[in-house]
Amino acid sequence: MHLTPEETHRLSEPINSDFEHSFNKLDYLAFQLMLSVCILIGNIGITFIMPTVVVMDVSLSMTRPVSIEGSEEYQRKHLAAHGLTMLFEHMATNYKLEFTALVVFSSLWELMVPFTRDYNTLQEALSNMDDYDKTCLESALVGVCNIVQQEWGGAIPCQVVLVTDGCLGIGRGSLRHSLATHSQRSESNRFPLPFPFPSKLYIMCMANLEELQSTDSLDCLERLIDLNNGEGQIFTIDGPLCLKNVQSMFGKLIDLAYTPFHAVLKCGHLTADVQVFPRPEPFVVDEEIDPIPKVINTDLEIVGFIDIADISSPPVLSRHLVLPIALNKEGDEVGTGITDDNEDENSANQIAGKIPNFCVLLHGSLKVEGMVAIVQLGPEWHGMLYSQADSKKKSNLMMSLFEPGPEPLPWLGKMAQLGPISDAKENPYGEDDNKSPFPLQPKNKRSYAQNVTVWIKPSGLQTDVQKILRNARKLPEKTQTFYKELNRLRKAALAFGFLDLLKGVADMLERECTLLPDTAHPDAAFQLTHAAQQLKLASTGTSEYAGYDHNITPLQTDFSGSSTERM
Amino acid sequence: MKIFSESHKTVFVVDHCPYMAESCRQHVEFDMLVKNRTQGIIPLAPISKSLWTCSVESSMEYCRIMYDIFPFKKLVNFIVSDSGAHVLNSWTQEDQNLQELMAALAAVGPPNPRADPECCSILHGLVAAVETLCKITEYQHEARTLLMENAERVGNRGRIICITNAKSDSHVRMLEDCVQETIHEHNKLAANSDHLMQIQKCELVLIHTYPVGEDSLVSDRPKKELSPVLTSEVHSVRAGRHLATKLNILVQQHFDLASTTITNIPMKEEQHANTSANYDVELLHHKDAHVDFLKSGDNHLGGSSREGSFKETITLKWCTPRTNNIVCSSVSELHYCTGAYRISPVDVNSRPSSCLTNFLLNDPRYKIDGSLEIPLERAKDQLEKHTRYWPMIISQTTIFNMQAVVPLASVIVKESLTEEDVLNCQKTIYNLVDMERKNDPLPISTVGTRGKGPKRDEQYRIMWNELETLVRAHINNSEKHQRVLECLMACRSKPPEEEERKKRGRKREDKEDKSEKAVKDYEQEKSWQDSERLKGILERGKEELAEAEIIKDSPDSPEPPNKKPLVEMDETPPVEKSKGPVSLLSLWSNRINTANSRKHQEFAGRLNSVNNRAELYQHLKEENGMETTENGKASRQ
Repeated sequence: MHLTPEETHRLSEPINSDFEHSFNKLDYLAFQLMLSVCILIGNIGITFIMPTVVVMDVSLSMTRPVSIEGSEEYQRKHLAAHGLTMLFEHMATNYKLEFTALVVFSSLWELMVPFTRDYNTLQEALSNMDDYDKTCLESALVGVCNIVQQEWGGAIPCQVVLVTDGCLGIGRGSLRHSLATHSQRSESNRFPLPFPFPSKLYIMCMANLEELQSTDSLDCLERLIDLNNGEGQIFTIDGPLCLKNVQSMFGKLIDLAYTPFHAVLKCGHLTADVQVFPRPEPFVVDEEIDPIPKVINTDLEIVGFIDIADISSPPVLSRHLVLPIALNKEGDEVGTGITDDNEDENSANQIAGKIPNFCVLLHGSLKVEGMVAIVQLGPEWHGMLYSQADSKKKSNLMMSLFEPGPEPLPWLGKMAQLGPISDAKENPYGEDDNKSPFPLQPKNKRSYAQNVTVWIKPSGLQTDVQKILRNARKLPEKTQTFYKELNRLRKAALAFGFLDLLKGVADMLERECTLLPDTAHPDAAFQLTHAAQQLKLASTGTSEYAGYDHNITPLQTDFSGSSTERM
Repeated sequence: MKIFSESHKTVFVVDHCPYMAESCRQHVEFDMLVKNRTQGIIPLAPISKSLWTCSVESSMEYCRIMYDIFPFKKLVNFIVSDSGAHVLNSWTQEDQNLQELMAALAAVGPPNPRADPECCSILHGLVAAVETLCKITEYQHEARTLLMENAERVGNRGRIICITNAKSDSHVRMLEDCVQETIHEHNKLAANSDHLMQIQKCELVLIHTYPVGEDSLVSDRPKKELSPVLTSEVHSVRAGRHLATKLNILVQQHFDLASTTITNIPMKEEQHANTSANYDVELLHHKDAHVDFLKSGDNHLGGSSREGSFKETITLKWCTPRTNNIVCSSVSELHYCTGAYRISPVDVNSRPSSCLTNFLLNDPRYKIDGSLEIPLERAKDQLEKHTRYWPMIISQTTIFNMQAVVPLASVIVKESLTEEDVLNCQKTIYNLVDMERKNDPLPISTVGTRGKGPKRDEQYRIMWNELETLVRAHINNSEKHQRVLECLMACRSKPPEEEERKKRGRKREDKEDKSEKAVKDYEQEKSWQDSERLKGILERGKEELAEAEIIKDSPDSPEPPNKKPLVEMDETPPVEKSKGPVSLLSLWSNRINTANSRKHQEFAGRLNSVNNRAELYQHLKEENGMETTENGKASRQ
């Protein structure tokens, strides 16, 4: 940005040291173990990408002429090129950072233009397309899979724009053939849909609805969308095939998939107009009870700040670049504030660069403080804003979306209860900032944190019995541990109805008693006998002695009293 | 994803009839002798678990894994059946933990082998299971209340896991028929009730278990739809570890779990504390955790896990965090995390498992006790208050660059002030007054202005104005805030004459500034000093000029701008001159200036100036072509 970071008045200014508001909660002891699936370094530079693959049908059927009265003759491929030109122009203006690739296909497929931000190259390629043989959609889709996976892996969402005339080919490799054999696929020749990456498949038909419905083309194309888990849409030309109607069809695609998402970022009285990129997808929380997709607010309100260490690396639905933008009076975007070497930046953009922008302040502050801002995306829906390094020199303000719900990150507790530090009686971070209230301890500890008893494998049972035995041999020093282990075994045996075990362990303790060496402390014999007796009573199952909450307590002896004194 | 799928409600129906007291005929050695010690002693005879014990511990293991991975919204209702049904817990979240269930099972105790078998039946339990499935859970209730008119969207599905010892396939058929009939009846009842819900879908999982070595009288049968509401499957399983394995498989199927094995975890040996060996730990978790692996085609599929589990496990190699603390190791970095999944160790009590979990649970950071939940709305309030006055650029603010203002600025944003706060604010203000009296320099930015920036009293005026803006933004918070403002207003106001004098002085300066008197230099100043008769009247103005010099040299004062100012403010001739009648001051100063100018030669600079501007040190440029820097100081190479 045009402001130097030094110029910004940071959130960290001493006067507002408690501005970094944070959060308080209770009972913090253990942490719920979670297996986190993280995508580590390597993908960092491509954090905010939603690439597009344009898949263009160059089979012979695309050269079918379109009759337009009183003008030169057009072929369907010309219409397609016209539509794509419109798309590319739109992207060149609004999605400068986006990568697009162009694939052409007939019975074979070819990557005409690998992923690029250079829309001129894409545009040129459109005018240099030859005509080939028949349509073979499946192999082209396999090609798309390969290209995307090679370039972006399996986690980056990708939009696939398939441009075809609705003639789906004949014989082997035709879409009809592919669909008919779909159920007989093995893992090795899996159908390419659903795409092995988050995707949208937009099918742009150079044909109108009537034409497609006269055959089963539309049904087949709909099957394709279904196979992509419903992710995508079919577009057809309304009315006669002409440039105007093609434009309107591509206009609909642009509205749906390539409209910039504008929002207002707010933090108290500080605000900034921003573009969130890529556009956040609507999210369905529960298809049954709440089937209406949730859309994020266009007012993004910051509700607080928290240390990166406290939020850890939380799971997120999606990540987005937050770009400051300048809006003119009509509310139209006039340009993003991101640095750009483009010389013909318009003047509004230049002015935008000179007005102090809250985004810059926020980004710099989060970066310096090692914190993230929690942002409200909607009712019971939150996300976080943070600085992420794109390269060694450059970093970006990013926004990640958590799953909607009152408690998206269990280790932070309920979002609605994360209040400011200053409201806490005692600073939960300590006076020296040397402690943290997070992660929160779950109300019910998980099994691995509560010393549960599992005897499914004999080794589990044997370990527990041996623990008792080991402590029995060190009586009276280990009296407390001995009874603790004894009671743990007793409880489990009672719950499992495993009374034979109680009898067995009682026998074992009695035997130990007889094996005590002469040098043994006299208390040892008393405790062993007492414990054995109590276990035997419990093994009768009578409620008097077999109460689950009852604990066997050490026998009070003169020795035990004096031994304590000695200790 | 559906919250209210079959997995929302699981009913365990475990047979508590006399035959369940029978031994599973799998022996457990429990008297493992420690070597070197027990020569000549015969170990105690091995014992064996009853069918009941096997059933209960396997179901508890199912619940353990389920609760670990789904601590909420996945509920279990535990029923044991003999001469009647004993419902051990309810759907409420408080009842959903292992301790509750274990205590309740202990109270039931093992089946009584001497009870009359004729009176006992698993049917009681199955009927109770259907009944309990109709009962609404707190989550269902909450969702229904929330959805209002769409309450019917909340589904009611469930699963009955019945562990029994059946006599034959036809006996199994009879149990299924009974469940189906009961559902039919209870759905009729539920239709007319507000507290009950009709069962839309019920999965019956019948597990026939029998002692090892016996022939099964019941055959396995995969899932089959008995009616639109009821599906049923039959598993015939030998007791003992076979039953446990079966339930482990089922919990994975029912809750979409998958397995990951963390391999090569270095752990210290008990016997040899200095050496460490590598261990593997197998974990269960939701299978979504594997989606990205499988998609990437790079599946780390290792061999099948130990102990006869059916499934494949993905192996991940352990990587020891740089610090001893998994949380702190990631302090400075946010990783792109696509999912975090709760886990449950397959073998929870094994030493490697507990080593791993203890390592992960052991977060050395200080923990706090006590309960404190602060509404998020308070955070929004606070942000609102803190940002009422918040200059975004350092050069736009004076007070936030002054350490002396901190005590006031840090408390004034509070909702309410203590007496001590007010006192501190007042002290701050007095301190500022003191600074002004002592003419302490202020960190006023000169960005965007020409020359040396505003004069000292102008600086203080700017500072006081800014402070007033800050305090005024908060006066409606409380009466005490009001008092701070009162104090501020009282302190910054000067006796009227002085104020008036200051004002005049300022006007003159303004003029001077705007008519580009920035060229004033030593000579001019000397001439001012020479004219002794003016001393009395213009003392104030002279002082200011002297101060201006001090500011320039003071290390505290900001560097003069070396950038081109963003906005050229003073291109236009001063408005002041043409506006309104000429003031007494300007008449007077004009006269003095004219008088003075006669006493000295006019500067070459002023004579050669264009638009009253003169370029300084032109000779330097001419001499060596070097650029001059700001303030006329030639840059030192």
